[in-house]
Amino acid sequence: MSDARIEAYSRALFEVAQAEGNLAIVEDELFRMARAVESNEQLRATLTDATIPADRRQQVVEKLLGGKASNTSVQLVSLIVGAGRGRDLPAIVDRLVQRASSEQQREVAEVRSAVALSDDQTKRLAEALSKSTGRKLNLKVVVDPSVLGGLVATVGDEVIDDTVRTRLEQIKTRI
Amino acid sequence: MNLLLAALIAVEDPTQTHHWLLPETAEIIYGGLASVIVFAGLFKFAGPMVKKSMKARTEKIQKELDGAASARSKSETDATDIRRALGDIEAERKKILAEAETQATAILADGRARLIKEVAELEAKAATDLAAARGRSGEELRGEIGRLSSAATSVAVAASLNDRAQQDLIESFIKSVGASK
Repeated sequence: MSDARIEAYSRALFEVAQAEGNLAIVEDELFRMARAVESNEQLRATLTDATIPADRRQQVVEKLLGGKASNTSVQLVSLIVGAGRGRDLPAIVDRLVQRASSEQQREVAEVRSAVALSDDQTKRLAEALSKSTGRKLNLKVVVDPSVLGGLVATVGDEVIDDTVRTRLEQIKTRI
Repeated sequence: MNLLLAALIAVEDPTQTHHWLLPETAEIIYGGLASVIVFAGLFKFAGPMVKKSMKARTEKIQKELDGAASARSKSETDATDIRRALGDIEAERKKILAEAETQATAILADGRARLIKEVAELEAKAATDLAAARGRSGEELRGEIGRLSSAATSVAVAASLNDRAQQDLIESFIKSVGASK
């Protein structure tokens, strides 16, 4: 999809979420959904398969998110998938998150962890990263078992990597 | 003349000759005169032609003699040239043989030197290949050991990453990031 179209979709999502008054929740839920689509090949194949009717794909989305996400998030994802833009969902959502963060004059900080972080850990981590980078951050935590353990944080071009996967790679290189 | 003839007729028998072998005097005179006239005519008219013919023949013979002398001279010159050429050919043959001998010797020496050099290079290459193969085997072995060690480490670490360890790693990260400013 072209940048202009991704931009247009993200702007539409942003406007809808802002109009509904739950921008923070929606962008967080959509961010998780986008990461799930990225990491789950079967889900991605289902949502982007043009041979599956649009209403069937939308049913999959509603069944997947129903009761786990806000109605606005479900409807927005359903809209994108129904329009046949499921493949671009991660890019659209990433742009939405950037737009929402810019609106709050914050920068997106993506943290990957092998296990889910508690609310307290998320809060302390956000403070620690803000203190370390000197910027106000919109922290997004992604559960990614491939990191094995530890965390990797990406803030703009800066990467703070203290994962077990990276350490093992370093040991492997040294060996 | 008529008187003489008449006198002769008068004293002589025209049916008899006075000698069985010699002609009559008159015949001798007539014959002699006729012969003189004939010879004079011949001398006058045929003489120059004969003389010219003889001169031409003499010139022709002289020319042939000169040609023969010239041919002989040329033949002698050619023979001399051929003899000299034969001498030159012999010298040339000896020279060519000598040069061929020199070149053959040089080629042999060159070929021997090249062969010695190639053999030395091949020996050096074989030694290098052998060393490289030895090194490669060692590297492959080290790589395999490293890969197995790495895999074993990954399995061991993954197995040891229980919830407690995960939480410790997260807390450690938060602490180190917070202290990094």
